[in-house]
Amino acid sequence: MATTTATLTLSSADLSSQALSITATQTLYKAGTTTGLDQTTGLNKVIYAAAQSNATLISAGDYEDNTAGKVYIKNVGSSSKDYFTIELGGSNIVIGRLYGGDFMFIPYEGEQDIDITSTTTSMELEYIVIFQAA
Amino acid sequence: MATVTAAITLTSAVGDLLTDALALSDSTAVTALHTSGLARTKISATAAGASASTIYTADDYAAPCYMYVKNTQTTSSHYIYIYNDTTSGDPVEFKLAGGDWAFFPTNADKTLRAYGSSANHVIEWMVFGTEN
Repeated sequence: MATTTATLTLSSADLSSQALSITATQTLYKAGTTTGLDQTTGLNKVIYAAAQSNATLISAGDYEDNTAGKVYIKNVGSSSKDYFTIELGGSNIVIGRLYGGDFMFIPYEGEQDIDITSTTTSMELEYIVIFQAA
Repeated sequence: MATVTAAITLTSAVGDLLTDALALSDSTAVTALHTSGLARTKISATAAGASASTIYTADDYAAPCYMYVKNTQTTSSHYIYIYNDTTSGDPVEFKLAGGDWAFFPTNADKTLRAYGSSANHVIEWMVFGTEN
């Protein structure tokens, strides 16, 4: 069985009067099981020469519905002003903005596209999908 | 201003997910002024609606912020659904299996609420951002 582990650490010495130190680890399982996810897109890098509007980054058609994939997306740029807006589905429900250097890690059921809108030209992102077949 | 560092690693040994090892490591430093602190609650609702648990209220922050959410259940089929309560139709944004966590930015102008696949699932979450 494939075992893939994701660990997040949140830390701060000065956000509050007490130090912040949170660590969360998960093993990436197929939906409703303790069997590991066994497929991946690999780490993709995409360079957008032109600004994008609701462009498909991850197509739900490539994945089985009602599964338990995971998605990591990173804005590779360094700008604190330009960002990618990450959106879900045909209605482009906005999840949030990734500014330069930001990343996100979310579960993905494979039922809706993940789209992006970018604020300017020559922006880059990286993403990986870890998923299961039916 | 304070700094919150968010760091992620994705790892898999040789011959597991891939024939080679997977070792992805990344971090970002977020300039932050405010935080909800790490919160935890038992979710009674099993569908979207007034009894669902609010984990972020629209416009509590005036600028994009960041969220960490974790389904603390130990059974993978015990799901927690995070939905957008501001947008018509209450679209589900994330379905967290037991043990799963997510980290993502949010535009801060939408209320996010949670319900479980059955009652009494426990969620933990934290919001931090540059303004309130």
